[in-house]
Amino acid sequence: MRQRIVSLLAAGAAVALAGSWAGAAFADEKPILIGITTAIQVQVGRDCVDGAKLAIDEINAQGGVNGRKLQMVVADEGEAAAEGPKTGIAAVNKLTGEDHVDVLIGGYDSGVTLAELPHISRAKTIYLGIGSASPSIQQKVKDDYEHYKYIFRVNPINSAKQAKGLLDYITGVLKGQLGYKRIAILGENAKWVQDMVPAMKSGAEAAGLQVPIAEFFDVQTADFSPIFAKVKESGAQYLMIILSHAASDVFVKQWYDAKVPVPIGGIDVKGQDANFFDRVGGKAISEVSTNFVLRAPLTPKTIPWWDSFVKAYNRAPVYTASGGYDAVYIYAGAAKRAGSTDTDAVIKELEKTDYVSARGRVQFDDLHEVKDGPGFVNELFVQWQQNGERKVIWPKEVANGKMIMPPWLVQN
Amino acid sequence: MAEILVYGAVISAIYAMLAVGFTLIFGVARILNLAHGSFYALGAYGVYALTADAHLPLFLAAAVAVLLVALFGVAVERVLVRPLRRSTLAVLMITLAVALMVEQVLLLIFGSEARNVPSMVNATFDVMGADVSGQRLLALSGAIAILSALWFFMQRTRLGSAILAISQDAEAAQYMGIPSDRIFSLVMGLSAGIAAAAGVLVAPFQTVIPGMGLLPLVKAFAIVVVGGLGSIVGSIVGALLLGYTETIIAFKISIEWSQIVSVAAVLLTLILRPAGFFGKRAAF
Amino acid sequence: MSEHRTDWLGALVVLVALALVPAILGSSYITGIMTVALCFAMWAASWDFMSGLTGRENFGHSLFIGAGAYTAGFLNVNFGASPWWSLAASPLVAVAFSLVIGFPTLRLRGPYFALAMLSGAAVMQSLTIIFSEYTGGQDGLNGLFPFFDSELTQYYLTLFFLAATVTTLRLVANSPWGTILRAIRGDEASCQAAGINVTFYKIASLMISAAFAGLGGALYAHYQLQVGPDLFAVILSINIIIMVYVGGMGSIYGPVGGAILLILLTEALRAFSEYRLWVYTLILMLILFFLPQGLVAPLWRRLRTIAQ
Repeated sequence: MRQRIVSLLAAGAAVALAGSWAGAAFADEKPILIGITTAIQVQVGRDCVDGAKLAIDEINAQGGVNGRKLQMVVADEGEAAAEGPKTGIAAVNKLTGEDHVDVLIGGYDSGVTLAELPHISRAKTIYLGIGSASPSIQQKVKDDYEHYKYIFRVNPINSAKQAKGLLDYITGVLKGQLGYKRIAILGENAKWVQDMVPAMKSGAEAAGLQVPIAEFFDVQTADFSPIFAKVKESGAQYLMIILSHAASDVFVKQWYDAKVPVPIGGIDVKGQDANFFDRVGGKAISEVSTNFVLRAPLTPKTIPWWDSFVKAYNRAPVYTASGGYDAVYIYAGAAKRAGSTDTDAVIKELEKTDYVSARGRVQFDDLHEVKDGPGFVNELFVQWQQNGERKVIWPKEVANGKMIMPPWLVQN
Repeated sequence: MAEILVYGAVISAIYAMLAVGFTLIFGVARILNLAHGSFYALGAYGVYALTADAHLPLFLAAAVAVLLVALFGVAVERVLVRPLRRSTLAVLMITLAVALMVEQVLLLIFGSEARNVPSMVNATFDVMGADVSGQRLLALSGAIAILSALWFFMQRTRLGSAILAISQDAEAAQYMGIPSDRIFSLVMGLSAGIAAAAGVLVAPFQTVIPGMGLLPLVKAFAIVVVGGLGSIVGSIVGALLLGYTETIIAFKISIEWSQIVSVAAVLLTLILRPAGFFGKRAAF
Repeated sequence: MSEHRTDWLGALVVLVALALVPAILGSSYITGIMTVALCFAMWAASWDFMSGLTGRENFGHSLFIGAGAYTAGFLNVNFGASPWWSLAASPLVAVAFSLVIGFPTLRLRGPYFALAMLSGAAVMQSLTIIFSEYTGGQDGLNGLFPFFDSELTQYYLTLFFLAATVTTLRLVANSPWGTILRAIRGDEASCQAAGINVTFYKIASLMISAAFAGLGGALYAHYQLQVGPDLFAVILSINIIIMVYVGGMGSIYGPVGGAILLILLTEALRAFSEYRLWVYTLILMLILFFLPQGLVAPLWRRLRTIAQ
């Protein structure tokens, strides 16, 4: 009896000792540093940070990664228009050179990201892009794997693939469903748009449509009336738009106010915002804009994630929010499988990523690009309808609503 | 064709309002006010804040916004510009700093995303075959009304004559007992108010973002220099030229080229006519 | 000890300090921003030489910066030329631009000159974006490579060229040339009447200003490893003028101090996160309001009188 009590006490002491030692070791473990580079004064930047923070808090609550907590360090990339890429490059240098982060997450302006790449490569740090769309970024992985293997794109689908998606929309919806024969294309003069539009034009023409207008405009353009008038005159039946940094709010307001007899749709990054419809006083009605995530059951995780973001931050997320959130989970997953944060080991695991996110299933192709298409992350064509309701009208597999026309075209 | 006429007129009218205010303060007080674009932006944001946050009716909000910005202009002149008046470069720099500061404050308070100001007139009108929004027509008529009121004020009132006198010869005016310091503040307020009115009128159909004042400032600067610094007539002529050039190029060629062509036109004008069209200090 | 001697001694002290700081603090971050600061210092000094002395305020200095930077970009990316070629080609191209814009704008003064130069830079910026096939549009040209693999060595190269720039410009500014340039600011007509070829001096000072700005552009391009239309932007020209003003116009070395101070300030204020630019602008406003003669040059002059 005494022996049992002694051994029990000894066992208890040993467990207590081991426990405190492990606890101390946990507490002493260096946190895993996650560096966020984004334009923090802009909505997309703030959502990247908030999305990442949500993921970090969740993961830490579940015990962290490999026994270590995650910690975020944010560095402002500045506004590309005002400061150029130099602030972004300084941000990268600070996070890698001074803070010695284990991974970089962020990006918004493709020009800034492209400028940062050689500096990221020099620092041999993993970069998970969540906002820039230029294909040139990931092309470097193929052209020079040794130096650029660190670069991954979690979000969004790159612009060349988005262009294919737009072409599908043109042939499937505009030609196939609506029987249109003539369309116009308008895009802002960002490089990725300038590359995209000629491909769209020739693709549409190859499908038998006429494209009398394919034009660009400066991001600072405040007055779109010339282009609306030209589109009307050309007899185009639909206006494909590609807007990212440009003033979508003003564009749709001017389109609505002038009752332009041509429906609009395409890529409209600002038009993805959940409050866009209200922001423009309802004048976005019938505009179609591509979206990667909205509050719909794209995957089992979509609605719960959307709701937890809204609960945490009191506002609806934009596309960079899901990017930031997913990037953290994807990195955490890779680090867990690798059992360490050793860069080369984690890269190998990142390449094997298979993660179901709010947007869809994330896997990387050989350019470290997020895969797109059925079963993966989809480019959804979403239309603003009555009362600000959004319906996915394309692709057919995920559509949950019928396309409507602008109200002034409905009275025939 | 009708579209070019109408849209060109609206753009020119707005440019004219901006340019006239800019040239007024230069002609009278020799101040190159780089914060002029900020007054424009503050007018737009003012009407937004007063309708969205304070829930004032639209027309009242517009009037209050213009008044507040005018007062702000007076304050800038009294507090920041007047002590530095001896050096034109110092005044240039401090007004530049004001412009940068206003942009940052707007960014911090209202965020980077565009703000929505509801239209005062929601109907669409058919003018000679062109579909024009009521708000644009309001902007056009508002600009004409304000500039006419300004003309009336300058030509037919004592205060207006005093302002003209100072712009022609500041020293002589002082000997005549005209209080130039107070006039400068008044003119600054007037200039700011007109710029704010422009901002209020265009806010429903133009982008309301913190940086919205930079491009209008550069354009106003260009128009005023080309029209002849200090000449109100020159500013109006310059505004019409720039507005219509931009509109015609945008319609006939492309929007992309309209900007570069107008800048090139400005450069060309300066090379050919180094003192602008109407030179300095032409009376209104 | 004469004023000039003290000036050169002070410059030497600053040079040594600039050389030691990154070596001691030794992170790519510090070396990086210091390199950027030195490039801005070259641009500010070159602006001051022309505009500070002759009083013709150039609101389009970015024209020469962009010209130099894109030259480096084209040579390096499209032709694979060694970065050392940029050092020769960029100033030459910038000088060519200065001739193209300089002759037509000879007669212009004050705001008219300012606007003309601004327009020149704006036109180039628009052209760069429109002809994106050749220039990379908004994203610019990527894939430049640096002079050296070591960022520190490249920093020293930049420092060397800054020192050479300031030395050359100071020597010219203090020579009879400089006197003539200052005289042109005072009264151009009298200079002309006195038989001075005013045109020659105006063009020459613009060319020199452009050459050093272009050189700075090349050095910047090979640090940043990217060139974009932002290097032709109006806001860049304005920022440089602010740096010159904070440094003290007309002194050449003042703008160097102003540039380094303001670049370091924008980085140092990162702790304020989204309030960074607001605090920066506030500090700027205080300096511009309370110190109309600038900060750096008057400070040095006071130190100098104490030292003597």
